[in-house]
Amino acid sequence: MSTKKSKWTPALIARTAAAWGIALLLFFPLIFMGFTAFKTELQAIAVPSLWAFEPTLENFHVVNERSDYVQFAWNSVVTSVVSTVLGLLIAAPAAYSMAFSPTKGTNGLLLWMLSTKFMPAVGALLPIYVIFQQLGLLDTKTALVIIFTMMNLPIMVWMLYTYFKDIPHEILEAARMDGASVWQEFRHVLLPLGIGGLASTGLLCLVLAWNEAFWALNLGAADAGTLATMMVSYSSPEGLFWAKLSAASLMAIAPIVVIGWFSQKQLVQGLTFGAVK
Amino acid sequence: MSVSKAKKPMTLESLLPKIVLAPTTAVMLVCMYGFMIWTGALSFTKSRMLPQWDFVGFDQYAKLFANPRWDVALNNLVVFGVLFIAVSLLLGLFLAILLDQKIRLEGTLRTIYLYPMAVSFVVTGTAWKWILNPGLGLEKLVRDLGFENFEFRWLVEQDMAIYTIVIAAVWQSSGFVMAMFLAGLRGVDDSLIKAAEIDGASKMKAYWYVILPILRPVFFSAIVILSHIAIKSFDLVQALTGGGPGYASDLPANFMYTYAFNRAQMGVGASSAMIMLMGVLAIIVPYLYSELRGGKNGR
Repeated sequence: MSTKKSKWTPALIARTAAAWGIALLLFFPLIFMGFTAFKTELQAIAVPSLWAFEPTLENFHVVNERSDYVQFAWNSVVTSVVSTVLGLLIAAPAAYSMAFSPTKGTNGLLLWMLSTKFMPAVGALLPIYVIFQQLGLLDTKTALVIIFTMMNLPIMVWMLYTYFKDIPHEILEAARMDGASVWQEFRHVLLPLGIGGLASTGLLCLVLAWNEAFWALNLGAADAGTLATMMVSYSSPEGLFWAKLSAASLMAIAPIVVIGWFSQKQLVQGLTFGAVK
Repeated sequence: MSVSKAKKPMTLESLLPKIVLAPTTAVMLVCMYGFMIWTGALSFTKSRMLPQWDFVGFDQYAKLFANPRWDVALNNLVVFGVLFIAVSLLLGLFLAILLDQKIRLEGTLRTIYLYPMAVSFVVTGTAWKWILNPGLGLEKLVRDLGFENFEFRWLVEQDMAIYTIVIAAVWQSSGFVMAMFLAGLRGVDDSLIKAAEIDGASKMKAYWYVILPILRPVFFSAIVILSHIAIKSFDLVQALTGGGPGYASDLPANFMYTYAFNRAQMGVGASSAMIMLMGVLAIIVPYLYSELRGGKNGR
């Protein structure tokens, strides 16, 4: 791939225009939602859509008052961050072990771990629900953290493995020759070389946990509900207030969109599961 | 572990890789087999609101397959799964080939293409519910432009509702598929196409015979991730159609949820979950193994 800039030929202009056109098309529903969030309910259902209007923050106030946005957002932050950190702590050593001390079974183990990711979550819902009920963990953040961690573990191991595998073994061997302890080896060799992979994997899991609705809906309700839960409560049939719904949606996705924009490289790597490096 | 290694004395150093691998493996073993067996056991009992252990054999399965709603859900899963994966792949590949040239600000574009993937299915569902709403979205817009008879009300039509789920899901994923293919195309040497063209192949043929085979690993990752998304589409259905109208756009996950939790039919729910598990085991796992067998793991 060449990175030098090419001249603006007609073909390049056409391609660029097409690329941005597609981007706009893909982005349109989100843009539309962004606009609607700042309209009054009456303006929101006007057809054809208004593009010039006096923006109002009223929807955000209403959403915040009616459903305590701060609490839902806090639940989302806690559950996604804690589960991601916890997951990285468990998955990184496992991936490290498989990448640097592979045995005959490693391949099979990896495949098996990946295949667990394809088990429909509903298959495990009943037992988990019952267990959490017995333990009194229903509707707690602890329950969601446990589930999110388990849910993302296979993907984390898999992705970290592909990153660690790209680190040349010789470097680690050289460090060992020089008498580095396991900790030093980790701290001074593995961590600096693997930090990109850790960041991308972490971001992916953060996004997945943040967006998770199935478990959040089933295991969390009033106290531990995340933003996904809040969103669903707004899209219930009796409450079809589009402007408020848009405001709630915007508030639910804003953190991800903003974080994603400032860490584009990690976002792209993470969302393509490490395929784009 | 190879024989020569096993003869070495067991030191902490040599055991460490196994020790650190253990927690992950243990967690997954419990999740996979523990919960699967539990669900399987439940599916042979009379459980309703709460689990109980009166063995009833295959009664729940018989009940399940006698249920027309389960039929609809299964059909929907096939329609949705096949269409969603096929359309996303084709569209993504087409866009990628279209854009596979040097373009300014490619990094930014790629982020934008991927953004829908970063957005929760719940939000996607909400946005599309608006666009597809006959009274508010597309239909109203086209009618106001002067086409009085224009009809587009898939969202409220029994036969068509499942396709609205496909539309929303394709929208969410095609940018992602494109990003994957673009990255794959980046790795293909331009001179390959030139060589094929010199040999007299048309551009179309060059792509078909030269480029696509090279992209096989990308197809593989894309299909794996897309089917993973398809299985998880519970949220999207819930947000976009709520399974309606009636139960016309139910997927098995939504069926299971409704029966186990809203209708206090835990046994039926468990048996439907088991059928889903079997389906996945029968289709995806063999594919995984056949593609990744023999040392060339990774992507």
